Amino acid sequence: MKPTYQLISPTLGELVWNTEPTDELLSIQFAYLTYIQTNFSPILLEVRQGFTRLSLVWKNSSSQQEFIQLSGSLNLIPEPLPEKVWKVPVCYSPEFGQDLEDFAKSKNLSLEEVIQLHTQPRYRIHFFGFLPGFFYLNGLSPKLHMPRKSVPTPAVPPGSVAIGGKQTGIYPIQSPGGWHIIGRSPLPFFDMKQVPPVWAKPGEQIQFVPINATQLENWKDADTKNFLQ
Amino acid sequence: MSTILGKAQLLRCPPGTTLQDEGRVLGANYGVPRSGAMDLHGYHWANHLLQNQNQAVALEMAQPGLKIKFEEPCLVSLAGAVAFVTVNQAPISNPSIIAMGSEDILEIGKFRTGARLYLCIEGGFQVEKPLGSGSDFVSITTPAKRATDETLYYLSNQNKTVLQAKPKWTSDWFESEEIQAYPGPDWELLSSVQHSKLLNQPFHISKLSNRMGIQLDELVVNELEDLPTNPVFPGTVQLTPGGKIIVLMRDAGVTGGYPRILQLTEEAQNRLAQKKTGDPIYFQLI
Repeated sequence: MKPTYQLISPTLGELVWNTEPTDELLSIQFAYLTYIQTNFSPILLEVRQGFTRLSLVWKNSSSQQEFIQLSGSLNLIPEPLPEKVWKVPVCYSPEFGQDLEDFAKSKNLSLEEVIQLHTQPRYRIHFFGFLPGFFYLNGLSPKLHMPRKSVPTPAVPPGSVAIGGKQTGIYPIQSPGGWHIIGRSPLPFFDMKQVPPVWAKPGEQIQFVPINATQLENWKDADTKNFLQ
Repeated sequence: MSTILGKAQLLRCPPGTTLQDEGRVLGANYGVPRSGAMDLHGYHWANHLLQNQNQAVALEMAQPGLKIKFEEPCLVSLAGAVAFVTVNQAPISNPSIIAMGSEDILEIGKFRTGARLYLCIEGGFQVEKPLGSGSDFVSITTPAKRATDETLYYLSNQNKTVLQAKPKWTSDWFESEEIQAYPGPDWELLSSVQHSKLLNQPFHISKLSNRMGIQLDELVVNELEDLPTNPVFPGTVQLTPGGKIIVLMRDAGVTGGYPRILQLTEEAQNRLAQKKTGDPIYFQLI
């Protein structure tokens, strides 16, 4: 799983893996991230992680050339992934998941089957993107894959749990969104008053736990604390 | 020399007005966009005139109509779009640097050229800088955009000597229709017909444009599948399944799943930020 390096501009390039995103690939990306941050921080402006790329913004073009000359001979050992599993409570109900019933109908599944399929896996957090605090998760059951809506919902409420394409995710803040909303979580997912503003790290896992509407409506800060230990 | 905290009242604030600096790189790991001035060239020039430090916070306007009253004396500068400017209703012929007196009112009229205007103030507007930047963004700064009746703060130097220099801002550099770009990471996935279409025909700025992205009116038909979500940057050009071209700008999310077909140079991003709805552009590969 050796990456190639694609130069995009004199100060921008990316490490490229042409494989599907997996835990194995994430372990290798972590090894590259650690190596780059340890050895190149002074000449690097920014690193951004995606499912199959690591994008590197260099301070100048000679910094990038320096890295290209070294990167070909690198042979890095994959980094073990963290074992932490976060439980994320979700109320799956038509009241809080406005698309749940249509979604189940078009997949030919009962609501219970959708909930069962969605709460069963542990999802791996690969990186944050799209919105502040939005997890990119790997591990959605193919039985729940569903093309995005052709017309996005103008204002998806914060905490909405949704499915789009091969992915599931949680809207941390209100935003327009093209994914199918199947539930709502009462947890905060992005808070600038906290340092850091997110409570999970890439590589950790999350598992959805069903709660009912009464639990969601009576959710207290203390309940959040219990979940985010 | 004595410095006191001055207040600037936004007596009228058009939609789309925000505070901006060079933006933040510290938040990308949490999914926080870079933000910052859409036209960094204009922003830097206006700050340079006042000898401001890096990251001095300025007002970015995307429409005419701003009316702002400064309670204490200060020096302000304007760059980016070229607009009709008055102080206490008297027209200012060269508004590059203006010495504002106590209770003076500055008004921004029609933009003659360009689409984004920067109002800088000596020392910068005084705001918190979450994740290293004062650039407005929802969930990062409060408020996330500026509104009428709001107060901004600045440092007023009470013993000011007025600058003798009268530099003139010119907008020639953004009048060119050429937008220079590098081939993007997914450029090679396109056919030669698509390449030729992208490089040989004019595209026009769509009205569906904002700080997150500038859309173009013309479509480029494509059958590319969605790709795994990967990093994008300001200046990344995406091609959607419907054939729409979206040039990502400063407030774009840090990752995207559409093919990334071009990457604009910094200068091209600044130039594009000054284009108005309906303006033509040509992509030029470097």
